[in-house]
Amino acid sequence: MKFTSKKSSEFPFIVGIPAILWQILLFYLPLVLIVGTSFIAISDSGSLEGFTFEKIGVFLNPTYIRVILSSVLLGLANATICFCIAYPLAYFMAFRAHKFKNLLLFLLLIPFWTNFLLHVYAWFFVLERNGFLNNLLKTLGLIQDSIPFMNSLFATMIMMVYYYLPFMVLPIYSSLEKFDYKLIEASLDLGAGRFKTLRRIILPLSLGGIRAGFFLVYIPSFGEFAIPELMGGDKQMFVGSVVARYILGDQTGSLGAAFTVLSSVILCVSSILLYFVLNLIFKRRGSHAVKN
Amino acid sequence: MPLKIEGSKIVHFILVLSTYCFLYLPLIVLVVFSFNAERFPSPWTGFSWRWYEELFQSKYLWQAFMNSLLVAAFSTLISLLLGVFLIFYVAQGKKIKNFLFLYYGNLVVPETVLAVALLGFFTLTYIPLGLTTLVLAHTILGLGFVIPITYSRYSELDTKMTEASLVLGATPKQTFFKVTLPLLRPSLIATGLLIFIISFDDFILSYFCAGSSAQTLSLYILSMLRTGVSPVVNALSAVLLVLSSLLALVFFSIKTRVRIL
Repeated sequence: MKFTSKKSSEFPFIVGIPAILWQILLFYLPLVLIVGTSFIAISDSGSLEGFTFEKIGVFLNPTYIRVILSSVLLGLANATICFCIAYPLAYFMAFRAHKFKNLLLFLLLIPFWTNFLLHVYAWFFVLERNGFLNNLLKTLGLIQDSIPFMNSLFATMIMMVYYYLPFMVLPIYSSLEKFDYKLIEASLDLGAGRFKTLRRIILPLSLGGIRAGFFLVYIPSFGEFAIPELMGGDKQMFVGSVVARYILGDQTGSLGAAFTVLSSVILCVSSILLYFVLNLIFKRRGSHAVKN
Repeated sequence: MPLKIEGSKIVHFILVLSTYCFLYLPLIVLVVFSFNAERFPSPWTGFSWRWYEELFQSKYLWQAFMNSLLVAAFSTLISLLLGVFLIFYVAQGKKIKNFLFLYYGNLVVPETVLAVALLGFFTLTYIPLGLTTLVLAHTILGLGFVIPITYSRYSELDTKMTEASLVLGATPKQTFFKVTLPLLRPSLIATGLLIFIISFDDFILSYFCAGSSAQTLSLYILSMLRTGVSPVVNALSAVLLVLSSLLALVFFSIKTRVRIL
């Protein structure tokens, strides 16, 4: 017994270490590297020349700051719209769908499990100049000329909400599902109106899910580059497009890294702010809240 | 008063219904027009399999499809193996718990940032871009799923089972393979499916880390998108929708509580 346990305690070490090495080598090292390349100056001959803020400095001008700010706004707008659509849906699934609960969940997840470019294509097909919607409106006689839906912020927003909606619904749903419905009944019985019950009981108690949903939508939509690129044309630039252009461009890789690092810092700061703002909006204030 | 509550319930129902219409109308329109005999701007002219035939004859499409399948299969396999090995190590009572936080970042870091970082790393280490680098990139996403999920399943397991097995004379290794692993199997299969589909559908990492030679399905669809509306893409969408619904069905029928998000 002693022998086997000693032997197996040596064996697992070799077995446990690859996952850790893998993670450090392919996740942490690359992240450290891009932070490094954005602060290290390399001369044309390839030798190190020391520490520099020059690369970050390139982006500290109104043009790029506007790009970053519009990404923040895009992410926040997307998360907010998703929340407004997702909350009633999650509430319905958790409390009112009964035996259709699983069907609704399943239907929500099918688009989520399909290649996202196909959804882009689907909306392309609907919104294009010669697309389904324009044809429909023409056939109905509502419009004479095609409306250019595509290549606009409108098309970008529709696609963003369409794609990110499940990321908001699922965490809210799973926090509502654990919710004790008796609390709602008690609140209503004790004379609080439906709105007050929502405001003081349901929303504060599902804060965990709301927060998770906001982050799951906000963080990736901040860096999103495919949707604005394909749906929005080149009218509005966002962080993702700038990063892709620099990184895949010729000789501009390290500038791209610097911009990535700069935007990541903004992303972190804005996420922390978002955390506090969500607390401020949804948390129950004071224990005497349900009075009157 | 009761009437008013009924009214609000109906409004709520209509709200949910319109959300699902928003989700499904574009897809339904897409699929319906994949059966149209003529190219799109013309209205419905008749039922035809024409675009499907054209789709299945496309050599590039199959190449891209096989590449995506290969990448997804390998990244799922590697993520699961690494994950199971790590859990095996934890199962021996090692104080590795402290290392698990290492994996929580994988899904938090925006994919674009991860892609940029990995591309820089591959360039610096002279690893040629291709399907291999894509597999490596996808395993990072995979580990972000497999380790937190498997570990939380593992810590929910009844320790009496493993203790019983050890007391009855099984070695720790036997206990792991005969008791712990079978108990973890449903959650491993579900996680595997999840990683597979995420890798198969992934676009951002493929866009950066696949290089110019390797074509995956996402990149192929992207190139088709750029050439504009074509009923062949409609047909492809219909096929992929059916495939992913089947996978989702399998995922749902596995009776385990794997939280996707």
